[in-house]
Amino acid sequence: MTTRITPLMSARAITKQYGGRNGCRNVSFDLYPGEVLCIVGESGSGKTTLLNTLALRTEADSGALHYHATHGEMLDLLAMSEPRRRLLMRTEWGFVQQNPRDGLRSGVSAGANIGEPLMAVGARHYGQIRATATQWMERVELDATRIDEFPAAFSGGMQQRLQIARNLVTGPRLVFMDEPTAGLDVSVQARLLDLLRTLTSTLHLSVLIVTHDIGVARLLAHRLMVMQGGEVVESGLTDQVLDDPQHPYTQTLVSSVLPV
Amino acid sequence: MSSIESRASDRVFIDNAALMLRAVDIRKTFTLHAQGGVQIDALAGVSLDVEQGECVVLVGPSGAGKSTLLRCLYGNYLASSGSIAIRSDGHDAQHVAITGAEPHDVLRLRRNVVGYVSQFLRVIPRVTTLTLVAEPLVSRGVAEDEARERAAALLARLNVPERLWSLAPATFSGGEQQRVNIARGLIAGHPLLLLDEPTASLDAENRDVVADLVIEARERGAAIVGIFHDEDTRTKVATRRFELQPPLRHQAALH
Repeated sequence: MTTRITPLMSARAITKQYGGRNGCRNVSFDLYPGEVLCIVGESGSGKTTLLNTLALRTEADSGALHYHATHGEMLDLLAMSEPRRRLLMRTEWGFVQQNPRDGLRSGVSAGANIGEPLMAVGARHYGQIRATATQWMERVELDATRIDEFPAAFSGGMQQRLQIARNLVTGPRLVFMDEPTAGLDVSVQARLLDLLRTLTSTLHLSVLIVTHDIGVARLLAHRLMVMQGGEVVESGLTDQVLDDPQHPYTQTLVSSVLPV
Repeated sequence: MSSIESRASDRVFIDNAALMLRAVDIRKTFTLHAQGGVQIDALAGVSLDVEQGECVVLVGPSGAGKSTLLRCLYGNYLASSGSIAIRSDGHDAQHVAITGAEPHDVLRLRRNVVGYVSQFLRVIPRVTTLTLVAEPLVSRGVAEDEARERAAALLARLNVPERLWSLAPATFSGGEQQRVNIARGLIAGHPLLLLDEPTASLDAENRDVVADLVIEARERGAAIVGIFHDEDTRTKVATRRFELQPPLRHQAALH
């Protein structure tokens, strides 16, 4: 009665702790192709630790993590060698940082920031790389005539869009995002959210996104995982979790949002 | 639902080819953890079958659980117990049990089978009215141009002025937003429609347009469950009325 699609990523009992506390404990989920899964929770709930562990930026203490690669192979991510991990990150994944300065290279131009990941996967033709970078600047609504300016010359919201272009230019299948709209003005947030919403659906991206903003979760996510104290306390369809929260913590989280 | 039960309800959907929805003994209790675990019973055992070409109008006093029932049927609220099965578009089975379904199955069902019109439009910043209304068609694979043409035709029929189509509906009046919401809910021709007071903030003329659209949907074979606040619309669209009574409310927590 249910459709049997192979998950893109499968996590089972993922645990990562710092000195026996904090971090995340015992997290399991399946992420399907084209699905946007939002991890919500307050500061210190372990959501960023979880994201970093899933993205192989920090080593998991225990658990199992599998990924269904383009060529059909099911990869055991935790057992994989470092060079293969690097290759996978370069070719199939993206990671959008909360602070665009962490995800961009400040010493090279906007165009180079977009072109670099392409060169890392083998692009060599300068004209083509520049043309692609120009297209992507337009796609994320940046003024393409500013292609030779350094990231510092752009506003925070523009830098975030530049970081998104840098991450999507190689056509990844899975993108991790850590609070991509935090620290931006509300008016700038709306533009970024609309852009993310459009890009994820037109590119059929799978996204794991961490946020503490319920509004962001409602707009972008198909599905939510609510974290408290390092554990997932509730998960399900986005509107169901937000409109009919079951867990005491989720009820508090949802009822704490100020009505507009 | 066990596979045996699942097969048994598959039989029901095979034996009755017109059956779109079967809800059996739906109960819904809200537990308010922040308020000492108070429990509020909203639905106390509701069973309902809906067939193609039927428009079942929910009636009952305020607090009888009419909206709660619709939201349970849409998978927006989790039923506390009971089962809800909806005829599926898939080839692998006759139905999907909304109760206990995986999120992606519910989403697929919403894309292809179940349409829902709430009282309020959820505005998405920067997304234009025309795009918003065309979206359910685009997500079902209709070409962008055709989807926009059909969206324009429906908006025109609902008397939404053309100068508004290229704007995001955030600044529209309540009635205009309501009509955009109806257009978005009805455009894809879902075989099962759940309507929660779609005419609440409309004037008489627009109420009639909506009633006509609901009747047309019914006549092309859609199964409809709706709440309508005015008797006039109810009389026009209903093929059957379904009475709900408020359960005993506000039971003290058992601790």
